[in-house]
Amino acid sequence: MQVNVALFAHLSSFQPDGEAGRRPRAFDLPEGTTVGAVIESLGLPDEPRVLFINGRHADEDTVLAGGDRLAIFPPVAGG
Amino acid sequence: MPADEHNACPPPLVPSDDPAMRARLAASHVAIIGCGGLGSNAAAMLLRSGVGHLTLIDFDVVEKGNLNRQLFFHDQIGMRKTDALAGTLRRIDPDAALTLVHECMTPENLLATVGGADVVIEAVDRAEVKAMITNVLCGAAPELPLVGASGLAGVRSANDVVTEQIGEHFYLIGDCTSDVRDGLPLLASRVMVAAAHQAHAAIRILLGHAEP
Repeated sequence: MQVNVALFAHLSSFQPDGEAGRRPRAFDLPEGTTVGAVIESLGLPDEPRVLFINGRHADEDTVLAGGDRLAIFPPVAGG
Repeated sequence: MPADEHNACPPPLVPSDDPAMRARLAASHVAIIGCGGLGSNAAAMLLRSGVGHLTLIDFDVVEKGNLNRQLFFHDQIGMRKTDALAGTLRRIDPDAALTLVHECMTPENLLATVGGADVVIEAVDRAEVKAMITNVLCGAAPELPLVGASGLAGVRSANDVVTEQIGEHFYLIGDCTSDVRDGLPLLASRVMVAAAHQAHAAIRILLGHAEP
């Protein structure tokens, strides 16, 4: 199945194509892949983050479906 | 100045330029989590814009170091931020409807504290608390609009601070990258730009506008 993954802010450097930018990239993933498995495969750092699938909040154990748009956003400090 | 003008009542705080819009804002309730650089300034803007009810949430007290960007004054040092901010807001509007919550927000008390609002503004400083607030509210109350902020430190252009709709009801203000943990300063000018974006995003949500 194909899933589009957008990595925000400094996480964009973890995209496999090595290019900067938050534009979503298409990933070919096996059925039943969880958000956590994607995070692990990308090697994202262990830091606070927020996950959305198709604009709805998700957890790391959420199972992805073909055509999903996964967005991973790391808040940065300051206020 | 003519005598009758000198003695005239001051103009209403909220002019009746668009009665329907003003009535909608007056009937609205915005909860602000954090009364620092973002929250204190956003609160004043929302009040001046006519939002009828504000819930102000902060567990901290005013310190001298806050005065560089937060809407507090030297004679308020040592006061609870919620009390000090309420005092300032009531100098703008003595009848302001304010709910003050002098507590630290946790996953356990967050939804009960802000769940009755029409819009919630996340205005805290620590990244892990921003993530907690976003995860708890977007997870447990996905229809409750949340306006967060991320990336407002430093001296990058103010034009890089933008409003984006990240989720169905989650709006993000900032440049997403400028982090105080990288040693970047928090300047009043850029923090207030972000606070203004937050206040305006809340107003647009209350009035039913969608982000482009």
